[in-house]
Amino acid sequence: MKRSLTELAMVAPIAAFVVLFALIPVGLLFASSISAVGGLGGLGSLLALPLNQRAVTNSLLQGGVSAALAVAFGYPAGVFLGRYRWPGRDLVRSLLLVPFLLPSLIVVLGIEDLFGAGGLLTTPAPWLQFLGHGIPGIVAANLIFNVPLVVILTAAGCETASSDLEETVVTLGGSPARAYRDAWGRPTWIGAAAGGLLTFLFSALSFAPPLLLCGERCYTVEARIWSLDQILLAPSEAGGLALVMVVLFLAPTLGYLYLVRRLAAPSGRKAPPGRPLVWTGTTAALAFETVAVLAGVTILLGAVLFRTLVPDGGGGAGSAWTTLFGPATSNRLGIGIPSAIANTLLFAVAAAGITVVLAVPAAYAVLRKPGRSSGLGLLLFVPLLLSPVVLALSLATFWRPLLGGEGSVWALVIVSQTVLALPFALQSLGIPLAGLSAAGREAAESLGAGRFSAFLDADLPRVRDGLVTASLFAFALGLGEFTATYFLVTPRFTTLPVALYGLIGARQLPAADAAAGLLLLLSLLVFLVISLGGRRVEL
Amino acid sequence: MLNSEPMLRVEGLSAAWGRTPVLEGVTFEVGPGELFVLLGPNGSGKSTLLRCLAGLEAPTLGRIFLEGRDVTGVPAHRRGIGLMFQDAALFPHRTVYENIAYAPLLQRRSRSSVDEEVGRQVALLGLSGFEDRAPDQLSGGERQRVALARTLAARPRMVLLDEPFASIDPELKAELRADFRRALRAAGASAIHVTHDRPEGLFLGDRVGLLFDGHLDRVAPPIQLFADPGSERAARFLGYNILVGAQGPEAVDPREVRLSPVGPDGPALTVVAAGTTGGERLVILRTSDGARVEVRGPDDGETPAPGDLLRATWSRSIRMPPGPPGPPKDAKNRGVL
Repeated sequence: MKRSLTELAMVAPIAAFVVLFALIPVGLLFASSISAVGGLGGLGSLLALPLNQRAVTNSLLQGGVSAALAVAFGYPAGVFLGRYRWPGRDLVRSLLLVPFLLPSLIVVLGIEDLFGAGGLLTTPAPWLQFLGHGIPGIVAANLIFNVPLVVILTAAGCETASSDLEETVVTLGGSPARAYRDAWGRPTWIGAAAGGLLTFLFSALSFAPPLLLCGERCYTVEARIWSLDQILLAPSEAGGLALVMVVLFLAPTLGYLYLVRRLAAPSGRKAPPGRPLVWTGTTAALAFETVAVLAGVTILLGAVLFRTLVPDGGGGAGSAWTTLFGPATSNRLGIGIPSAIANTLLFAVAAAGITVVLAVPAAYAVLRKPGRSSGLGLLLFVPLLLSPVVLALSLATFWRPLLGGEGSVWALVIVSQTVLALPFALQSLGIPLAGLSAAGREAAESLGAGRFSAFLDADLPRVRDGLVTASLFAFALGLGEFTATYFLVTPRFTTLPVALYGLIGARQLPAADAAAGLLLLLSLLVFLVISLGGRRVEL
Repeated sequence: MLNSEPMLRVEGLSAAWGRTPVLEGVTFEVGPGELFVLLGPNGSGKSTLLRCLAGLEAPTLGRIFLEGRDVTGVPAHRRGIGLMFQDAALFPHRTVYENIAYAPLLQRRSRSSVDEEVGRQVALLGLSGFEDRAPDQLSGGERQRVALARTLAARPRMVLLDEPFASIDPELKAELRADFRRALRAAGASAIHVTHDRPEGLFLGDRVGLLFDGHLDRVAPPIQLFADPGSERAARFLGYNILVGAQGPEAVDPREVRLSPVGPDGPALTVVAAGTTGGERLVILRTSDGARVEVRGPDDGETPAPGDLLRATWSRSIRMPPGPPGPPKDAKNRGVL
């Protein structure tokens, strides 16, 4: 009983946080919106509006196409990464997560740098301009973000496959193709399906790419909600549409959570180091495809960095940086870039700190006991069900009036970044905690250590890497968070991603490239630290 | 050497992990229907040898012949050699019936033939009534039975068993061993059973091969092997004490040693630990040069205490060659230490 109360106390802070800053505001937002639009019938009418219908269609179309292409491009590379052992494999795995952490704006900028008018690729090959705008541009941006996720999750699926089972099939007379079908292919497809669902969710709810690469005709539901609230000043309609969106995307979100849990489930002897790479036609094709994926990501991010040195439309090396930190940019944004950087770091550090303080005790109490993680664990993953715009809209509607004015902006930004980082921090902690045996802690307790000392001496050292990863991951997510922050901030609290959006919108591309380069370098730095010592991020 | 044409012939097989040799020049034969046991400590290369035979690892040197045909380069799925793993490796999403029927269906046998095959294996391995169960509804022993049934249903020419009883409760092991032996006999398949468990290997094998550090030390029927281990290392692994007497090293069965109070000037053994193992007394001692001596005997009389000095005598021993294994040695009748 005493132990249960202790565990309850460990989970209570995060549960309270999620309830206070996610469930209650979102619930009240939905309730007030339903009431304002005239009940459930009103929601139907809202959905029947042509612009809203188009937003839903755009979401499903952009999400579906992006997911299908991401799986098609990502699956072979995921198999190559997860199944075979080759030099640089761990580094590639780490680097593949970099796009996920970047604000989508950087990818949008990269698309413009490569495929826009006078782009690095469209200058020699003008026919590629179709990738620089409209639905193709949006899908290309989505792919840069999400193909790496499919690769990583497919690789994770590969690693849960049982080597014994595969070898059993072969020694029973099954061909290698049969072994793929009956033994090791299934988990890879679970991983790829999880990646596909995540791609669908991220793409269907993408915000910056439709805004910047296409305009209103390509708005997703997320962009439409923002437009309703911020441009058309119709918060009730925005809230109603947000409810429709949550309902629409509930199934894929739960599907993703289900598949990710299956990826973590043990299934016999694992082969984490991968098998030796033997060059055949198949492995060569897989390797080629992997190189193509890496090249795609590298070229796009490289284009952004290149443009920080060689700005579009002339100007010497370094002029992009001079422009970024110059008075013209400050005047345009209403804040100097050093202050925006300081805001970004402050918000990210605070959000990461709160995330870790909330997540560690809860993860320790719940996630290390697989049988008990389902009910309470699901509550902790509630934030994954909410899109950044819905979260920001609900926080702005419910908490801003309570906290009062501009003074609450910084607090709400930190809260939103924390809510959004929690599921990923829990996921990074969950894997090491799931493998944590009670033996060490019980041995320490039997030697006279108190429960807290036993935790510090026996358990903490074994989940230290997970803890570091979770902290840095939360920090990096805060660093790149744009959508919710953009919804909540005022000029005084502008962050670097929000400044970047302003610069792209004003077509100040040299300064935007420099800002994007800065964010990119910061994210890479965080990832180098995460990768040191072989730490891994879990999605 | 076998009298009949061997089912399996392995010639000079070597294998390596990277640059570390795991097997070196292993040569042996397995006869038709023979149950051959590979016995050796952990890390001796047993599992690597099985994986090479199954076609899952490529040897660096040597040849493998199955029924006289060189199969060294034949892929695993065309080799006709079944491999059964320690953890059974059942298909988690298939029932017991579907697991056993897997290979017959792969072989495109008719539905009635598949049913017949599954029925035969189910009956042979005592799995009646379990056909519709999922693997996670089975005990460890039942899972191993299903795994063997699945392997035998493929009608392999050779069955390889990689420590199949390693995670089974001791109480169940004896029964399972007997059932496995019976099933393999009934199938008429030749088999190689790998284990580090000495009693298990000696109980099951028609012949036993001792594998140490990637080298096949000795191959012989169990009784002959126990009577003549051939080398100090083999004798130690088989449970003998190696005592150095006046005429060199001798292998002494722990049950043959008698302990008595030490004389005024005789060499002494120091008791390290002593106790009962249930109906038998076990005494562990050290010689003056640090060698370990184990003595087993009836659990009667006074149990010596750690630190006691005792004298050991024995009625039978096997003289060991000083170097590598050689021809059978003469049994010595008496010894004193």
